Amino acid sequence: MRTFRVTLIGGIISYRALFHWVRPASFVGSLLAAPLFQLLFFVFLGRALGVADDRFYVLGNVILSATGACIFGGAMGVANERVYGTLGHVLLSTCRRGALWAGRSLPYAVNAVAVMVFTLACATALLGVRMPVGSLAGLAAAMVVGSLSCTAFGIMIGAIGLRFRNVDTIADAAMMLLVIATGAEVPHSALPIWLDGIGLFLPLTNAIDAARGSVDGLAGSAVMIDVGREVLVGVGYAGLAAVLLKYFEYRSRSGLSLDAV
Amino acid sequence: MTTRPGRVIRFTLVGLRTHLLYMSRSVTTVLFTIATPVLYSLIAIYLSHAATHPARVIQASVAAGLMGIWSSVLFQSGTAFQRQRRLGVLELIVGAPTPILLALFPITLATAVIGAYAMATTVFCAVVFFGASITPFLSPLFLAAVLVCIVTLGFVGVLMACSFIMLRNAYALVNTLEHPIWMLSGMMVPLSALPGWLHPLSWLLPSMWGTQAVRDSVVGGPVAVPITIALGTGATYLALAVFTVKRVERRALALATLTLA
Repeated sequence: MRTFRVTLIGGIISYRALFHWVRPASFVGSLLAAPLFQLLFFVFLGRALGVADDRFYVLGNVILSATGACIFGGAMGVANERVYGTLGHVLLSTCRRGALWAGRSLPYAVNAVAVMVFTLACATALLGVRMPVGSLAGLAAAMVVGSLSCTAFGIMIGAIGLRFRNVDTIADAAMMLLVIATGAEVPHSALPIWLDGIGLFLPLTNAIDAARGSVDGLAGSAVMIDVGREVLVGVGYAGLAAVLLKYFEYRSRSGLSLDAV
Repeated sequence: MTTRPGRVIRFTLVGLRTHLLYMSRSVTTVLFTIATPVLYSLIAIYLSHAATHPARVIQASVAAGLMGIWSSVLFQSGTAFQRQRRLGVLELIVGAPTPILLALFPITLATAVIGAYAMATTVFCAVVFFGASITPFLSPLFLAAVLVCIVTLGFVGVLMACSFIMLRNAYALVNTLEHPIWMLSGMMVPLSALPGWLHPLSWLLPSMWGTQAVRDSVVGGPVAVPITIALGTGATYLALAVFTVKRVERRALALATLTLA
């Protein structure tokens, strides 16, 4: 029961307290409008260059729209504890760390799915892009798994923010990397091999492939392979986040610098 | 006293130098002023398979450089007053005998000059990594067109700073305006790719005319007309800023919430 309370209620409280974009104006501007305008930018760019159809950019940018909530949310959800001077209280608490950090991840993942659905709905309404009904299950799976893996990535960045001050810089750089290397805006075939290879280890790459595969009518098993790869990437980043959080906590205790790392 | 032409010029130059040095010391500011345009130029180059077409590389790098100038003006000017508020000098600026507009213009001009770092970086990448010729970038017309872009976007920055001063969530609006202005200015997405009903909106933007001037200077087209219109529309924005800042100043003095907004 206590673990459940820490995970669910603690997660919601931390989301409300630490996520700067939860205010309505910031939420609408940064999480809803900005990704939608980015989607429209790339749709029109794609039309001008004649590279791919609207559906390619819509699906890529719908999945990519999760980055704001996941990366910045995950980063704020961890690093802002130090900003507000409550990091010591968190590190001194006796609650299970897994429940604590998992609870902080869930609201951002839910937020990301909501942003994706909103972006998809607007793109469908504005651009007339239709998704086959049979693809919705695969699309939903790609969205959920993508948001979870991207949130794990964001938590990992937040863990880095416990050690380094410029977590916003790191988060911005991570977002840029996702824009160019995940295949959201540039087809895999057009990317240099080394950049495409980096993309395999980033969140959202496989989720985007799963979403496109589902809409293109690929077999469910093929889509699930991409979903499975995304799960693996997410588990990897979750593990890395856990290790970093544990390590930085150990360092802060051993150096008697709970809030001064 | 501070409105004599000689003093205005000196004040502007000293303020420009001060804020330029201050902003240039921020690694985050410089990094993302440079990195975002490079990212978008790479995306455009990969999408159009332009790596082996120097002309397309030049187009992509120029477009991305202009996008960088706008992003710098948008993010730095839009939050200029919030920054001064955080530094604790906003009340001093508003209360000083120097007109607010005169105090603000060097800040916004500095943001546009910082944005020129983006142009320099994308041009450097085009020349060094993709073998583009540097000759078009050294022409006086190109440099004049870029200078006009910087000055007119500085005017737009003044209007933005004045308009956003009373907004707590200016950053949300700033996040929203990046991609729309890129599109409406025709910086990377040609205006012909946009719906026709958006074109009149484009004509109202000095950035659209500045973009056309820069593009024409590279391909050898007529530059005088777009430069003239850019300066004219920029002056209109400056006039709007004069009107807005007077209202904002009266409201700020009446409400006495300048440090709290």
